Amino acid sequence: MSDQRPSKAHQPSRSGKKAEKKARGKGKHNAFNDKAFAPRSGRRAERQGRRAAERDQTRLHVPLVDRTPDDVPPPVIVAIVGPPGVGKSTLVKSLVRRYTKQTLNDIRGPVTVISGKKRRLTFIECNTDLSSMIDIGKIADLVLLMIDGSFGFEMETFEFLNILQAHGFPKVIGVLTHLDLIKKATTLRATKKTLKKRFWAEIYQGAKLFYLSGVLNGRYPDSEILNLSRFISVMKFRPLVFRNAHPYLLADRFEDLTSREQIRLSKGKCDRTVTVYGYLRGTNLREGTKVHVPGVGDLDINTITLLGDPCPFPTAESEKRRKLSEKKTLLVHAPMSDVGGVTYDKDAVWVNVPGSFTRGNRDVPQGEGEQMVMDLQDVNETLEHAVARSQIRLLGSSSKSLSLYPPSNQHTPSHQGSEVEDEGQKAQELTSISDDGSDIGDEELQYDEDENVELHFTGRSTRRVSRRPADRLSEIHDGTGIDYAESDSDLGEDGNEGTLMASDLDRGSDPVLQTDNEEADDEFPKWKSNLSDQVNAFKLAQRNKRKDWTKLIYYSALSPRQIMQGELNASDRKKDEEKDDNDDFFTLKATDGDVDSLDTTKEKCPPNQLAKWATEETLDSIRHLFITGLSDTIPADDASGRDVATNDDVFDEDERTNSDNEGDTPRKADDADPQATTLAAKKEALKRKFDEQYDDPDSTKQDFYAEAKEAISAQQALNRAEFANVDIATRILVEGYQPGSYVRIELNSVPCEMSEHFDPSRPLVIGGLLSAEEQFGFVQYTPEHMHCYATFYGPISAPNTGFCALNSLEDGIAAFRIAATGVVLDIDRSVKIVKKLKLTGVPYKIFKNTAFVKDMFSSALEVAKFEGANLRTVSGIRGQVKKALPKPDGAFRATFEDKVLMSDIIFLRAWYSIQPRKFYNPVTSLLLSSGSGWMGMRLTGQVRREQNLSVPHNRDSAYKPIVRPSRRFNPLKAIIPSEACRIARTRREEGFGGDAANASTAKGCYSAETREKKGAR
Amino acid sequence: MTLHYSGHLYFRHRLVLAILSGKPIKIDKIRPGDKNPGLRDYEVGLLRLIEKVTNGTVIEISLTGTAILLKPGIISGGPVAYECPSSRSVGYFLEPIIMLAPFSKKPLALTLRGITTDDKDLSVDLIRTVTLPHLEPFGISDKLELKIKKRGSPPLGGGEVLFLCPIVKQVKTLNFVDPGKIKRIRGIAHAVRVSPQFSNRMIEAARSVLNRYIPDIYLYSDVYKGEESGKSPGYALSLVAESTTSALHCAEAVSQPGIAPEDIALHATRSLLTEVERGGCVDQKHQSLVLLMMVLGSEDVGRCRMAEPTERTVQFLRDVRDAFGTSFKIVPVDTSDQSPQLLYSCYGVGYVNTNRTLA
Repeated sequence: MSDQRPSKAHQPSRSGKKAEKKARGKGKHNAFNDKAFAPRSGRRAERQGRRAAERDQTRLHVPLVDRTPDDVPPPVIVAIVGPPGVGKSTLVKSLVRRYTKQTLNDIRGPVTVISGKKRRLTFIECNTDLSSMIDIGKIADLVLLMIDGSFGFEMETFEFLNILQAHGFPKVIGVLTHLDLIKKATTLRATKKTLKKRFWAEIYQGAKLFYLSGVLNGRYPDSEILNLSRFISVMKFRPLVFRNAHPYLLADRFEDLTSREQIRLSKGKCDRTVTVYGYLRGTNLREGTKVHVPGVGDLDINTITLLGDPCPFPTAESEKRRKLSEKKTLLVHAPMSDVGGVTYDKDAVWVNVPGSFTRGNRDVPQGEGEQMVMDLQDVNETLEHAVARSQIRLLGSSSKSLSLYPPSNQHTPSHQGSEVEDEGQKAQELTSISDDGSDIGDEELQYDEDENVELHFTGRSTRRVSRRPADRLSEIHDGTGIDYAESDSDLGEDGNEGTLMASDLDRGSDPVLQTDNEEADDEFPKWKSNLSDQVNAFKLAQRNKRKDWTKLIYYSALSPRQIMQGELNASDRKKDEEKDDNDDFFTLKATDGDVDSLDTTKEKCPPNQLAKWATEETLDSIRHLFITGLSDTIPADDASGRDVATNDDVFDEDERTNSDNEGDTPRKADDADPQATTLAAKKEALKRKFDEQYDDPDSTKQDFYAEAKEAISAQQALNRAEFANVDIATRILVEGYQPGSYVRIELNSVPCEMSEHFDPSRPLVIGGLLSAEEQFGFVQYTPEHMHCYATFYGPISAPNTGFCALNSLEDGIAAFRIAATGVVLDIDRSVKIVKKLKLTGVPYKIFKNTAFVKDMFSSALEVAKFEGANLRTVSGIRGQVKKALPKPDGAFRATFEDKVLMSDIIFLRAWYSIQPRKFYNPVTSLLLSSGSGWMGMRLTGQVRREQNLSVPHNRDSAYKPIVRPSRRFNPLKAIIPSEACRIARTRREEGFGGDAANASTAKGCYSAETREKKGAR
Repeated sequence: MTLHYSGHLYFRHRLVLAILSGKPIKIDKIRPGDKNPGLRDYEVGLLRLIEKVTNGTVIEISLTGTAILLKPGIISGGPVAYECPSSRSVGYFLEPIIMLAPFSKKPLALTLRGITTDDKDLSVDLIRTVTLPHLEPFGISDKLELKIKKRGSPPLGGGEVLFLCPIVKQVKTLNFVDPGKIKRIRGIAHAVRVSPQFSNRMIEAARSVLNRYIPDIYLYSDVYKGEESGKSPGYALSLVAESTTSALHCAEAVSQPGIAPEDIALHATRSLLTEVERGGCVDQKHQSLVLLMMVLGSEDVGRCRMAEPTERTVQFLRDVRDAFGTSFKIVPVDTSDQSPQLLYSCYGVGYVNTNRTLA
């Protein structure tokens, strides 16, 4: 009742103390005086303005395209990282509790919750081992980095930050815990301050650091968690370059689909077929992409299936329908943690009992049903055993059961497994539980004409959380082949009366229908599956005159030539071909008769096609395609003009019939419309031109930043618009699976260890590979900020990809385990790395510019190899190796640009090339059981240390004391210039020159320059 | 993930797709029933050329030459010289190289010697004036050049061209849906080792047809003399029509024995008119080049309006799907309109030139 009464508007008091107070406050707008911050001088004002502008610029970042769709983005991955015992699980529990109002006891793997209208969060707790930390670094959008306040930073934290740096540095919020252990308030304050300072130094000044006090009821205080959740919900994310170029997925569910029989036969060693589930992130995932699973290796995708969103965003519709009682059970998606309701899907049935019931929790009373389901999950025996123990009664009324073995173990279990193999050697198992648990014999045996023997158990069939081949499952889901669940009671009755059902016959009769189902045939790519439909559609399209090119090109088996010729009767021939080889539609048939045709770009124009241009009419018909031709709106040629006219007529007819009584006004408007619109368009264009010319040209011009952002948003709008009203199958064909969609990916030939040692606490990341990344080659990288290059052989990754190098992944190493971080610079198929090598020798005989050199080589053959090589002396005289000398072995003749000295050392600069080994060994940490850490190949030094071996010692490479023979220099003899010389010099200085000067040199008289004279003294 | 094809057709674009996608390719049944089975000399020549411009490419040719296996390496580029066999013109070799060159490690400077103009492949004139401008909207324009140093007519050739191509990190997304109207026509009439009057006669004949449409027509007479004119006589006319939105359409005709130059010119002119009538934003001969660049663009929607696909284009689209897993959406431009033009749109694969060196 009270709702309907209009509430009275608030009336502020106009007199009294309150009003006075308000009036007083009205004068000042701000808490501070504006004038106080006004610049006092012009120079100061300029400086302030400049500073403000600079600060403005720091806000700007290079515009990046965000590939995640706006409408349904994938959940934000919030990783909780920290050293052991810091309270990670408690934080996840608290956060999940905050969003779902449910307490999860046993959290394993990612937990997805809805945090708002447009945001979902996936929480994942990170293990403390290094490979998990690296995997988390690859995918986390936001990291809650937990630090033990009472202990301080640990090495793991720093290592993790370094890993993050190499992976593009996602957002980080620090969380300080265990602060309640610090009792003294001053110590607490000081600790907070020092830790904050250190944290800021690691990330950036002002990075957010949260403080969580003690634990209450196994959770952090609700108010603190609420605060943290608010920070998470407003967090903005900048797309990271690598993630914006690759599709990836964090698996929140993992199933092994390999048939049990196969596993049993191979004793668990066969390669497995597994499915992983998760939200797609990054870019679109296309069919046929190869994926890399860190910790496993490169794998092929068998199929991708789009599934319904397990954690959909609330819509206006869903909010309306929501009841008050549902408020408590907010959606949470955590398949590995046993929460949520029952989910049926392709691979398994998930039975989850609401409340605090979890598997292994014996405190909660478990009913019979729960017990059964639990037992079903525990079934671990082979089919053979199940058959041995099962009872088969041929008819419901028969008193004695059929048995293959002597009835030794006749106690009936609550579930029965049984199998009869059909001719195709396939085994199928359906366990059945009867309604009330008393009547177990609701089975019927079916015999088919084609000798397929199958056993159908009816009654409530609950499928075990089982691993079974996909094709089997799809059959079940089709509902066409096997009588399943819904018709159980009828069938049960029939069975009792001894009726033989032949449902398999129905199935056999419509093989085409089955392929209609997208999921029915996993062996083929999707586009091949509904071929017959497409062929029919193609025929229809043919009848409709206009060719549907998408279908012709991508779905039909016609050869390009047939398509071009529009060969209709080819469809008959095609049908025959189809029967023969369904598989390779795109192989070219030799029957096309183009053995002699060449691969040419220029299409031969047939002369008869060109002949039409001889007439003036045809020549005129294309006038409108030239700028001199008339505009499109009033077509020049008669043909198209007529077309428009007829169209108009038709339109008018319609109009008349529809609106006879409305009078002529709409018709007039129609007539006027085309002209009016063209006129309006012309006016608009003129106006724009005028504006451009007369307005300030700078006003319309945007800065680079705004322009780039606008271009990006325009392109994204185009992307959305282009495929907005295209059906989902075509969309997937053209653009792949969009990020944000929940998909199931089936992977083939996965090593069995992955499924055997699967541990949900280790993150399972599926990363799509770009086409270039499937190759191998030499990758050159450089650690950042250092002049150091390194080259190794491995899978190719694009230049500018970050990387980090580790010496070992072992736990329990006190030191910082990250050896290097850097970026990829270059990739190549071969690489040339050279070592500098200097050969030295000494001259033993010197002529003018020629010298005989020894001690560089040991034989004439070696010299022959180096003939023509460049030489250099220590003093910088360049020369060349000429020819070997016969006498001292390895001596050779060399020429130089100048006379070398006996004291010179002559060296030859050479390069010794090294080929890096083509060795690549991926870390397979996910193939190992949780406890054991991955061990790489030991380094030689490590092996020696462990084996207690000494380093092999080459006597030649040992350093010996350098013994240099002391060199004897002849004393410099200063010649006292004779009288004649003195005269000659005087004459030369005075400018006589001529004979006297020549005479002095002819006499061999020494005339020292002033400098030399100084030296002599 | 090996690509597997049969038959000798579409040899070039299949190799290009394999190299760009990095997937090994196996082609078998190459002319198995022919009198002269296996690869032709020009196909082997193309493989040689590919080996020269790439690093680490492994090519295995079967004993009979009817099957090849190519494991692509990286496209290295740099200065390369190659003597083309005289069975095909330079255009045969240039077309696939143009598709590869922007994604190489170093800018490519390729010298090709051989026949420059013949009736099977695009002549160097068309490649220079039409093919290379087609790359401009994809952001490949700076320092993109084809220099015709010498001309060479069949059968002996003797021409020489220098192809320079810059490298790009990623090609831009194309959005080209307005074909515009033809605003100018350009043409090159060349004659080597014949009377220079021949080219003038061709120009005259072509003008007689084209003059009615627009005044902006320039047909150049390009005569090469002496050493630069190659070893055999020949002449040809190539025509290019450019629209207001710089959509290009081209046609050409090459001299044939016993046919007057006027007829050659008429053939070229009428082929051009056919091309113009087909319309669209891209010339029919360059459909696969443009479609390839659209596929390689960033992960956005690229759109282009073109005429109906040719046989080669149809097969090319199928092969693109095998190599890159991407299909095109092909719809008529306007459902009410009767024009046969189609709108091709695709979602780029975000191909990044990984061969590029950073430092």
